[in-house]
Amino acid sequence: MDKELEHQFVTNLEKHQNIAHKICRIYTNDQDSHNDLFQEITIQLWKAYPKFRGEAKFSTWMYRVALNTAITLYRKKKRSIRTQDFDTVDFKIKAEEYDDEAEQQLKVMYSAIQELNDIEKALVFLYLEDKNYRDISETLGITEVNARVKMNRVKTKLKNILNP
Amino acid sequence: MDGLDLLKKDWKKREGSIPQLSYDEIYKMLWKRSSSIVKWIFVISILEFLFWALITIFWTDDEYWNSVERVHLKEFTVATYLINYAITFFFIYCFYKNYRRISSTDNVAKLMKNILRTRKTVKYYIGYILISTALITLIYTYFMMDYHVTNTVVEDVEKYNFTPIQWVKFTGIIIGGLAVFLGLIWLFYKVLYGILLRRLNKNYKELKKLEL
Repeated sequence: MDKELEHQFVTNLEKHQNIAHKICRIYTNDQDSHNDLFQEITIQLWKAYPKFRGEAKFSTWMYRVALNTAITLYRKKKRSIRTQDFDTVDFKIKAEEYDDEAEQQLKVMYSAIQELNDIEKALVFLYLEDKNYRDISETLGITEVNARVKMNRVKTKLKNILNP
Repeated sequence: MDGLDLLKKDWKKREGSIPQLSYDEIYKMLWKRSSSIVKWIFVISILEFLFWALITIFWTDDEYWNSVERVHLKEFTVATYLINYAITFFFIYCFYKNYRRISSTDNVAKLMKNILRTRKTVKYYIGYILISTALITLIYTYFMMDYHVTNTVVEDVEKYNFTPIQWVKFTGIIIGGLAVFLGLIWLFYKVLYGILLRRLNKNYKELKKLEL
């Protein structure tokens, strides 16, 4: 394996690791699965890296590969994730107190996200990342129109969960 | 402000508090694939155990037990099975332990130590199979011969007397046959586990470079 390539890859990933961490946060609900998914994303990125070679920005490419990994892994392990107790959902957000209304609302939001399917989670993630529809369509491999339609549906779905 | 905007704000706020991994920690992940190799060793050991167990079940019909009883080896055979299963289970347990240990390792030195340990377990396991097969085969051969010597009625004893050279030939054939048999078993295990062990070794070397 090319040493130089390896160094380049790890340096890039170190710089952009937040992307993977944030995806893990959306798709997993405890620290162990977070670490598992992060590890899996790292390996998938490394496997795909020889094909990358600067055709796009590293971060753009990373969004695509990492999200794909999360989606496929999520599909495979759907059952085991679904059977988790819903109380564990707040694992990563329990550090803060939820005393006022806004905080309470946030907690419900994060729980609601856990109820979405894999694609919907990806959409919410990209929305939270402030991606425009062109980026979203490229990352998920769908048309811009489709991305717009899907995103609106997810937003409505979340709003409905929040204000039933 | 609606829920989604609130969420977006919170999402951005949390960005700063994400725990960061170091260069070395990420680098190590590339070589942590060792754990999947060790998992395969564990899985293969179970499959192999099931394979032999199935063969044993089909093999040991009434006729088999009658013939074993005839040469007074019934107790010995049962004991061999029990001991063999116990030891095999012990090895499967060791493989499982190795797998658990490797998948939870988070430092390079320990990971290397665990890789070496896994290699050693596999080697011991193959060694055990070879030695136990050799021993059991020899014991069976001895009892079979003993049985035939004491029970076969021969009219002309002279015809069945071996000259020293014939004895040497006879022993040679038995030892040679056993050697070929063991060689085949060794080859089988070498292929079965060899590929995985080689990959482990490669990972080990890479980790070693990282250590220096």
